[in-house]
Amino acid sequence: MTRGTEQATDEELVAAVLGGDRDRFGDLIERYQGRLVNYLFRLLRNADDAHDLAQEVLVKVYQVLDRYDPQYKFSTWLFRVAQNAAIDQIRRRRLKVVSLRQEDEEGEGRDWDLPSPERGPYGELRNRERGGAIQEAIDGLPWEYRELILLRHFGELPYEEIAKLKQMPLGTVKNKLFRGRQMLKEKLKDFLSD
Amino acid sequence: MNRPDHSTFREWLNQDADGMLAQGERARLEEHLAGCEECRREREELLAFERLLQRSALPVRPGFANAVMAALPPAGWEARAPRTWRFPLAVAAMLMMVAGFLVAGSSVAPSGLAALGAMGGMIRAAALAGAGLLGASWKGIGIVVEDVISSPVSLGAFGFLVLCLNLLLISLVRRRRPSAASEPARGRRTGG
Repeated sequence: MTRGTEQATDEELVAAVLGGDRDRFGDLIERYQGRLVNYLFRLLRNADDAHDLAQEVLVKVYQVLDRYDPQYKFSTWLFRVAQNAAIDQIRRRRLKVVSLRQEDEEGEGRDWDLPSPERGPYGELRNRERGGAIQEAIDGLPWEYRELILLRHFGELPYEEIAKLKQMPLGTVKNKLFRGRQMLKEKLKDFLSD
Repeated sequence: MNRPDHSTFREWLNQDADGMLAQGERARLEEHLAGCEECRREREELLAFERLLQRSALPVRPGFANAVMAALPPAGWEARAPRTWRFPLAVAAMLMMVAGFLVAGSSVAPSGLAALGAMGGMIRAAALAGAGLLGASWKGIGIVVEDVISSPVSLGAFGFLVLCLNLLLISLVRRRRPSAASEPARGRRTGG
């Protein structure tokens, strides 16, 4: 499916899809699925919901693909749609910010049990702790920092695209990312030596 | 350029970790790192932080892309006719051909050349009729305008009408040309 399109830009792939080559949209999905799912996972805190919403977002983008303006980056557009969809879903479900301990008690903490090269009971425990700690640290960030950290680290958007998406000056984006990252690092310092 | 202070180097370290530090600044940062133990430690922490986040990545469900492709409904734009002159021109050519055959096949036109002549006559007559209608329309408009400008009240009302029509036109044009990139995000807030 991706043969011959490895070097194609997002804009070229969109043009090909609009020209009738529907399969090229599959190449765009392959290109963005990891970033999109992980970005949504950190917002929704649930792997199944993240996958379902990522699919919804991609379908939505496909349906309005003819409105895409190539003077903007495709990724900026995609993540703007994703962010709005995630915020809508969070509001709809009135997602409660509860502690991971409470989630574990309710049996909803499995999403932090991420695959890891570490084997054995200790490795699994550490991995679970790490996943939970990262999510807790992210959730603990003020929204203005959290949204930029997620776009940068999980959406992998460059500063300029984040600035466009959030309609912020570039300097503000850099500054907020710096501060947000310092806060995260401080909260996760016990795991940095792993 | 002044010598950057320590906090600037720390910000540069973050940008460097993102691969977004300018080449010139990077050289100055490396120079600073050679003599600053604290910044070297900071860089190690940043690298460890990046590794930690990478290790925590959620793997995408196998077959996700295929599932999305299978779930794609036909988009509205797929059914929309392309905006070119190709189709109208093809229809016009087909009509001309049909007309040509009809005229050529009739008893009053014994040859293809005569048929073309007859078609030319038809087109000329249609053009003359159109020109006549246009002329009559202009004359009618002229009479109305003359009537309108004869009274200050009707002139004012006419001016107001033109202004309203212009505003309507502007609003229609603005509705038809939204910013494509911001279209799906319109009306949403990003606060959490």
